[in-house]
Amino acid sequence: MDPVKITIDGKEVTTTKGKTVIQAAAEAGVAIPHYCYHSKLSIAGNCRMCLVEIEKMPKLQIACNTQVAEGMGVLTQSPKVLAVRKAVLEFLLINHPVDCPICDQAGECQLQNYYMEHNREASRFEVGKQHDRKKTIFGPNVIFDGERCIKCTRCVRFCQEITKTDELAVINRGDHSTIALFDDSVLDNPLSANVVDICPVGALTDRDFRFKVRVWYLQKTPSVCPGCSTGCNISVETYQNRIARFKPRINEAVNSHWICDEGRYCFHELTGGERLTTPLIRQEGGLVPATWENALQAVLAGLRSAKAAAGIMTGRSTNEEAFLFAKLMKKFTPGSPLEVCYQERELTETQKILMSPDRSPNFRGARDMGVGTDGGYDRLRQKLLAGDFSAGYIVGEDLLGSNGAADRLRSALQKLAFLVVQDIRLSETAKLAHVVLPATHFGEKDGTYTNRKGRVQKLNAAVIAPEGALQDWQIFLRLLDLAGEKLSYSTPSQIFQALAGEVALYRGISYATIGDQGIQIGGGGVEQS
Amino acid sequence: MEKLLLRNIGVTDSHTLAVYQSRGGYQSWEKVVRNMKPAELIEEVKASGLRGRGGAGFPTGMKWSFVPKDSPKPKYLVCNADESEPGTFKDRLLIEQDPHAILEGTLIAAYGIQSHTAFIYIRGELVAGAKILERTVEEACRAGYIGKNIFGSGYDLDVIVHRGAGAYICGEETALLSSLEGGRGWPKVKPPFPATHGLFGCPTVVNNVETLAALPWIIERGAAAYAAMGTEKSKGTKLFSVSGHITRPGVYELEMGYPFKKFLEEDCGGVANGRKLKGVIPGGGSMPVLRPDELEKVNLDYESVQAAGSMLGSGGVIVMDDTTCMVRAASNIARFYAHESCGQCSPCREGCHWMEKIFHRIENGEGQASDLDLILNISGNIMGNTICPFGDAAAMPAAAFIRKFRAEFEAHIAEKRCTVRTQ
Repeated sequence: MDPVKITIDGKEVTTTKGKTVIQAAAEAGVAIPHYCYHSKLSIAGNCRMCLVEIEKMPKLQIACNTQVAEGMGVLTQSPKVLAVRKAVLEFLLINHPVDCPICDQAGECQLQNYYMEHNREASRFEVGKQHDRKKTIFGPNVIFDGERCIKCTRCVRFCQEITKTDELAVINRGDHSTIALFDDSVLDNPLSANVVDICPVGALTDRDFRFKVRVWYLQKTPSVCPGCSTGCNISVETYQNRIARFKPRINEAVNSHWICDEGRYCFHELTGGERLTTPLIRQEGGLVPATWENALQAVLAGLRSAKAAAGIMTGRSTNEEAFLFAKLMKKFTPGSPLEVCYQERELTETQKILMSPDRSPNFRGARDMGVGTDGGYDRLRQKLLAGDFSAGYIVGEDLLGSNGAADRLRSALQKLAFLVVQDIRLSETAKLAHVVLPATHFGEKDGTYTNRKGRVQKLNAAVIAPEGALQDWQIFLRLLDLAGEKLSYSTPSQIFQALAGEVALYRGISYATIGDQGIQIGGGGVEQS
Repeated sequence: MEKLLLRNIGVTDSHTLAVYQSRGGYQSWEKVVRNMKPAELIEEVKASGLRGRGGAGFPTGMKWSFVPKDSPKPKYLVCNADESEPGTFKDRLLIEQDPHAILEGTLIAAYGIQSHTAFIYIRGELVAGAKILERTVEEACRAGYIGKNIFGSGYDLDVIVHRGAGAYICGEETALLSSLEGGRGWPKVKPPFPATHGLFGCPTVVNNVETLAALPWIIERGAAAYAAMGTEKSKGTKLFSVSGHITRPGVYELEMGYPFKKFLEEDCGGVANGRKLKGVIPGGGSMPVLRPDELEKVNLDYESVQAAGSMLGSGGVIVMDDTTCMVRAASNIARFYAHESCGQCSPCREGCHWMEKIFHRIENGEGQASDLDLILNISGNIMGNTICPFGDAAAMPAAAFIRKFRAEFEAHIAEKRCTVRTQ
């Protein structure tokens, strides 16, 4: 990488050959306003918002397509540059409906932001706006408002260059130009909703999120997508203690700027439904509410008397939970098989861009923690069906709800002398249990996930669990405590510290250093970077 | 003056190979292939001083020399026959009456950059011209001027005639290439330039019909003979399409530097019906209009017209007499550019229509006094800020009409009607 010295607004900046002015400026902390430029897409150069002055060049140049050269002088605040920004913003708004009060993008709209920053004047346009299509459904997740569109073509390029599915195209000419579905296509590729994220204005909005909440009321918590073991970095955005949406968080080692649609909307399935807020114990054929004390004592008694118990854990459990669960099962029924619930499906080429074949975000981490002793979940399930166990402890997974052989599994579970199910809802599986423990979902807990490629990433609680439910790790700690195992740790970070001391792969990692971008563990990590 | 470009026009069956050959056709081509190295050819064209006749006036030989010689990619030569500039019809005359001269020029240019595939991109509306060019290519193929191992030299060349789909913007060379690639006729962001990244990402030269048609003569008579004509910087001859209120409209070939006023008054017979000249656009619809008082010392070469505040452009001369409503003329031109803006970049997409709507309002007697400065401001905001020269092409005439005929615009606004056509 050859170093190149340029000046930006008089300040000397050293960058590298091949960089564009917009990139070099960004590195130097100078934000050049832009719409069509996106670091992951080809250069379109159409919005003209990033025009800057290059010394010794007669015309303004677009910063997104101008490569740095030794000695180049870039002016981003000269009178000419400020004037053209103002002009471009005025142009972009002349046919725009300026319907901010009913626009979902309001509050995170680059037209609003840049207009506030660079123009602030009333429009001089008074000769009749060009109208376009409103409320045009592009696909299951995306809706288009042609009048708000600034034709930056980010969405078109995304479908051409990232998903290579080519659903979108520009049609018509001049100020009749608009974005449309190409021929009979539907914008339903597995990454389709990313076009909403990259749309700098309110033209493309998310049909799921639309009109639910003004974005300035959202609380944003950095976290990890629970949808599969890719471990895409997300921002969990909540309103009044409910998850309103997932947005991708940039992590070049994992998901770049994107998340898949399945992951984006998985929180509905993972958090919806009526929550359990009290433990339940089976009495005379029915499940009745119980105190935590009684429920945990019942679990202790049931597991202790079991000859062979199967431990099945959801792949959405954190490393900390898996670590404690493995400890717990070892203590109660040494030698019992433990497995992470895991199922694969076929993926299309487009799905493979981001999605993993499973839906178990932490199957790898849970196995690292010792949940995974018996040669895989399928083998454990076969044994369960064969009646090899007298007891079972199922954490966070509705086996009957997600299994093809539900009838056989149901009778196998019914035959168990003791079954404890720990979940957030009274699932079909939970209904068969002798003790049901109300727990928490991914959005309510702190902890870590280890993705398919061995990257340890942090999950942060975005919402507060309902009263009466306990964190899964708290349940395990209390059971261990009842069983006489006094542990010195009582928070996820302390548990992580303990597991980092015991699990070789995680040695040297501390909870605090994982940060928002995660840490790659050694030994089998196949990260491509 | 000896005619170079129009030398075969008017000859019976001038479009056929037989007639073209009988008048010395394809001898230059044979000379180039048999006797000249590509580098020599480029030097010869550079020495001739020939400049691009599509409007920009860029030196042709230099344009060719930008094509990398060591590129492993195929190279392409494209003849730009997408003549669409308002008031311009010179290429059409050559296409219909001297197509072999265009083809011969195309072959010479292709050889110069060592291209083995050349395209002639012809405007979609020129249906007859497209048929003629196809026949021309076929004839030349049969005669062995195109194909494999031309004149036994080992040089291969194929020529493909491609029809456009009706967009003015496809005359802009990068939009033409997008269209030729099968895409939307959108100009490409530069850099990279076509010389290195043109058609399908390969080195490409796009030359105008008239530019290419000058090549056979230059080869035949030598660069010096061509450079001997014209002015210091504008060499040779140029075609002018004259239309509007003029006694003898038509296509004229003039030595560069010919006095504009003399041309209009003597060669073209002056303003039609003895009326007074009000304004003249010298280089096609996108160029600034000139008032009669601005014509006095103007000569028809790139530098002189530019010094007068306009541009030679395509040589499309549009003459307007004193019955012309300049508001209407400006509105007409603005409508054309609003209709033809490709819509790719913001200033042009939005600004052209905005200007058109204001011109329309003024013409309809609904204008406001502030409209004139508003249009000047909008045109200034478009100028130089767009992906391709189209933005300038729309902005320049709009501003020029207002600046040069401001009193008429003001009267039109104040009286809420046309003050010229109702006299």
